[in-house]
Amino acid sequence: MNPEEAAAALSRTNFGALDAVIVCLYLLISVAIGLVVKKYVSDMTTYIGAGRKVGAWLGVATMTGTEMGLITVMYSAQKGFTGGFAAFHIALIAGAVTLLIGFSGFIVVPLRALRVLTIPEFYEQRFGRKTRILGGVMLAFGGILNMGLFLKVGSMFIVGVTGLSSTGWALPAVMVMLLTLVLIYTTLGGMISVILTDYIQFVVLAVGLLVATFLAIGDLGWDRIFLSVAELMGESGMNPVADGSGFGWSYVIWMMITAGLVSCAIWPTAVARALAMESAPAVRRQYMWSSISFTVRFMIPYFWGICAFVYIRDSAAGADLKALFFPADGSEPGIDNLYAMPVYLGRLLPSLVLGIISAAMIAAFMSTHDSYFLCWSSVITQDIIAPLRRGALSDAARVRCTRILILLIGGYVLYWGLLYEGRDDIWDYMAVSGAIYFTGAMAVLICGLYWQRASSTGAVAALLCGGAAVLGLGPVQQLVGLQYRNDAGEWVQRLTGAQVGLITAALSFIAMILGSLLFPDRRPRDSKSKTMKTES
Amino acid sequence: MSWILFWKLVFVVTLALFAVMATLVTVLGARDVRRLLRGLKERKETK
Repeated sequence: MNPEEAAAALSRTNFGALDAVIVCLYLLISVAIGLVVKKYVSDMTTYIGAGRKVGAWLGVATMTGTEMGLITVMYSAQKGFTGGFAAFHIALIAGAVTLLIGFSGFIVVPLRALRVLTIPEFYEQRFGRKTRILGGVMLAFGGILNMGLFLKVGSMFIVGVTGLSSTGWALPAVMVMLLTLVLIYTTLGGMISVILTDYIQFVVLAVGLLVATFLAIGDLGWDRIFLSVAELMGESGMNPVADGSGFGWSYVIWMMITAGLVSCAIWPTAVARALAMESAPAVRRQYMWSSISFTVRFMIPYFWGICAFVYIRDSAAGADLKALFFPADGSEPGIDNLYAMPVYLGRLLPSLVLGIISAAMIAAFMSTHDSYFLCWSSVITQDIIAPLRRGALSDAARVRCTRILILLIGGYVLYWGLLYEGRDDIWDYMAVSGAIYFTGAMAVLICGLYWQRASSTGAVAALLCGGAAVLGLGPVQQLVGLQYRNDAGEWVQRLTGAQVGLITAALSFIAMILGSLLFPDRRPRDSKSKTMKTES
Repeated sequence: MSWILFWKLVFVVTLALFAVMATLVTVLGARDVRRLLRGLKERKETK
């Protein structure tokens, strides 16, 4: 297919003027909220924790809004497109583990009881200031690296669904526009505007997800979607541990950690929601209900990706896209499969519905960005800059510092989105980059909360071990020889990202335990007794 | 049970649960928003 034909195929969309008006209206409302709620920001607790006055139902909405970002929708659709229904296992794991956390209160309830604002703040209470600063550095590094592709991938959705050119100026222009809007309302309103926009996003997104799903089923046929995948992908499109599925047992175990435990109980943006809740019972209720949205946030986008696959591979209407995404000769790579789902939705959904879905997706994009910007910038302010300063930092100075950091991180995200050229699936990139933080944090949080003999030396060793997860990233693997081209020119991996992550997690726990046993703190601290004291 | 039937069941149950949850969160979440703003206003006034 020549470039003109390819551009024509990608630009076929139902997105029209009415849809553009709906999207613009939504964006204006979001910015207006930031301006209106600015008046409620009275101190750092209201700016980054909404004054700890969030009720359970609003907590579910904001948790869903944050964790169901456009990046999630895009990478999940990509997993569904490449992995078929076998990818559904990730959604099931995510939901089941979140439900268990809700029932047990594991990690999140004791953390909420300690009334900390950030995870590194807990490190200081339990292990001392040095651990807090190191934890803050690891968290900010892993977290900011993790969100490096959010802007680019989110903008790819807009480009795909609106039929703009995927190769010209459109992508960078959309990136700049979206980033500017998010930065405005996040820097102004902090967590309050984040929570309110999350609520609106939840309502719009819930309607959008269900409507688009039913329209896709109506378009392709319920049975046909399943039968096509079974026929075209075989057993590997259904069974996550089948040969050739691209998953396997080590991947499933890795997902139990990343998509399960880490996503809801270790990842700071999710934990920040628990810490902003009004009470411990509200935290449990929030997690139990959120288990549904933690399942849906993966499962529905997987399904959309699967529908895009069936549309392109097995329908006459999508035949013009087949050569683009699956070149027959295999000599040149097809177009980035991240575009498959938005291009399909652009053709499937009628005008008006497409506008609402696009607004919902942009809402998803913005609510994730704002939370992440706020989370990483507040960690740098609260856990690195403030503890390193000799004099006390006033609330006003902290808010100002956080706002400046939000702008700086925004600049980085734009830069990284234009620069990074790794070949990892987006979800795998995120799991690996996030592992730099969470493999160490998992050991420190679990041992710190539930093991009296955990020591600050063990905590520091575990956090440092987490840095080894960087070896799971594609470009780093090529640099150190973990990934190389064989004689046939194919890329070969000695260790997959999932295996590197699992090894790093195990090393962090070993370091935590050995460090604590060999170098105990002089006076063991009992976080449980502290918890009881705080609550009383 | 075949994989197709299993994933069909999982998907239908998940969609149904999500529809119920979305309705509850939309209605009761609005109440929480009002309470949150009232609380923040009082907090600011007492400062």
